[in-house]
Amino acid sequence: MSANVSNETLLSVDNLHVEFATYGGIVQAVRGVSFSVETGQTLAIVGESGCGKSVSMQAVMGLIPMPPGRIRQGSAKLRGQDFLGKTHIDGKAICGDEIGMIFQDPMSSLNPTMRIGDQIAETLEVHRGYSRSQAFARAIELLELVKIPEAEKRARQYPFEFSGGMLQRAMIAMAIACKPSVLIADEPTTALDVTIQAQILDLLKEIQQETGMAIILITHDLAVVARMADKVAVMYAGQIVESASVDDLFYKSAHPYTLGLKLAMPSNRSDAANQLQPIPGSPPDLFSPPAGCAYCARCPWAMQVCQGDNPPPFVVGDRHYARCWLQHPQNERDIDGLYRVPAEQVADGPSGSAKGSTV
Amino acid sequence: MLWYTLKRLLQGVITVWFIATATFIGMHNVPGDPLSGERATNAAIRANLEARYGLDRPVTEQYFIYMRNMLRGDFGISYTQQNREVNDIIREHFPVSATLGVLAVLFAALGGILFGALTALFRNRLPDYIIMFLVILGISVPSFVFAALGQLSLVNINSVLGFSVLPVAGWGSVSHMLLPALVLGLGTMAYMTRLMRSSMLEVMSSDYIRTAKAKGLSPTRIFSRHQLRNAALPVITVLGPAIAAITTGGFVVELVFAIPGLGRYFVQAVQQLDYTVIMGTTVFYGAFLVFMVILVDLVYGWIDPRVRLQ
Repeated sequence: MSANVSNETLLSVDNLHVEFATYGGIVQAVRGVSFSVETGQTLAIVGESGCGKSVSMQAVMGLIPMPPGRIRQGSAKLRGQDFLGKTHIDGKAICGDEIGMIFQDPMSSLNPTMRIGDQIAETLEVHRGYSRSQAFARAIELLELVKIPEAEKRARQYPFEFSGGMLQRAMIAMAIACKPSVLIADEPTTALDVTIQAQILDLLKEIQQETGMAIILITHDLAVVARMADKVAVMYAGQIVESASVDDLFYKSAHPYTLGLKLAMPSNRSDAANQLQPIPGSPPDLFSPPAGCAYCARCPWAMQVCQGDNPPPFVVGDRHYARCWLQHPQNERDIDGLYRVPAEQVADGPSGSAKGSTV
Repeated sequence: MLWYTLKRLLQGVITVWFIATATFIGMHNVPGDPLSGERATNAAIRANLEARYGLDRPVTEQYFIYMRNMLRGDFGISYTQQNREVNDIIREHFPVSATLGVLAVLFAALGGILFGALTALFRNRLPDYIIMFLVILGISVPSFVFAALGQLSLVNINSVLGFSVLPVAGWGSVSHMLLPALVLGLGTMAYMTRLMRSSMLEVMSSDYIRTAKAKGLSPTRIFSRHQLRNAALPVITVLGPAIAAITTGGFVVELVFAIPGLGRYFVQAVQQLDYTVIMGTTVFYGAFLVFMVILVDLVYGWIDPRVRLQ
């Protein structure tokens, strides 16, 4: 395995729409999400609770219960092959074999009545046809790989005998058992305390360097993003509002929502100028999403056009898109802190028509 | 684990002692006594009999004598039956009740777990509606109605076919046991179905089932390895009391099917104020119940490792 980052697109999701039929009506949880990730790369999907980040990944994995859930439109491709709604491609299982997944709360994400080792071994038995003892021996090796001391003894223990951080390590061991090409980490550190968070993130990075797997990291923590990601997609109300490389996202933020998130992020300095600023208001009701920009109601710079028309993704740089009318070439207003394409570049760079393009 | 078992057994002994004492006090406070029957006895005979059975002594003294005998495993002799020791009554008739009860519980548990899991898997679809309707029926209709209906349909089936598929009543072979056991277990089965359904639904929406799906396990494997065991835990909890309740509560069914079980003696003894038989059967059933609960707790610890160390 090499740590080389190839430029081949490994996993790509295109124009994904997911909705849920409830008693109150249809919730449009994901409204046209597109992204892609390459081998060895980490993509972070950021957004507040309920913005659809987990739902879109679970939909891709086929984990949302249907009904009430429904994938209305879209595709998800692994090495160019659409696998949405399938369990296998080329004889390999998607879940557990090609794509591993870890979850937010390790305490409840493991079966309480099954030994840790057996839970890890199960994946190998199912996908690799290992015998029970073979799989268990490999499970012990995997526990060693994720740096669990006394792995042999630990493998015979039950989840309630593990601490939260150890459980998340065990989850990681389980997810990488079959050497998946993509690991989806759904808020892997949210339930853990800060020192353990750092350890888990370092572990993920280390494994990524060894195996070259791609990581899709779902989080609402920008500090985690800065530490881990190669590129970032910011989600709001079921759409990706800005996507960019991690540097561009932090230093050339092109969407007011990204700016808002940054201002709400704690910093080391504690003077008045660096006070945390919450984003006022709350996300729109996804039973009837607004016709225009979903962020319009909370945006301090909202314009007339924002209410009626949803902005397309405007190109603001190399692989850098933002769904905001402020990025329209004809907009002459500059906002403090918001990145704009320098005027001389606007003339030759195409924009506005980039609807539906992938990250 | 050993310490835990010993602790539970000690608790059980105390519970049984408490049951015995409470029954003793209650029994002696009921108006009348075993000697005040329909046949009037004159005062002299009565005094003789009281002296013979120790009924003339203070109640506290009687209590201590009784407890001492009980510790030796001697429940005394029956007041109303000729030359019958309570121990003999229990020894002869309890195995019958127990066999019937265990079979009924087996029906109830297997049926409850199976149907409960089915209703959860087919939640809000036709199989769920049908089974849940039958469950309501099973809980609300008393067992003697099912017993009578069962016998009636068995008679009809036997006469239509021209030979006996299953005997309608009596005791002796396995074929005698099937229908009464089914009838006896029906109410508990219905109750367990409901219990299993709700716990199965809870398990199905839990995070670790999502994990199991993300691991790419097949639905059958998820069902057998992850859902069934965890969902069956609450059902196993009620199994202990259910065994005791079914074994002791089989009186009506025993009567309808003419089965020589202990339940009949239990009820008769209370009606006739047969002190020794009341005490014997109550203490025996009490001990049986306590033992079953302990046994289930131990089994529970085996299935759910979290219980073991706490």
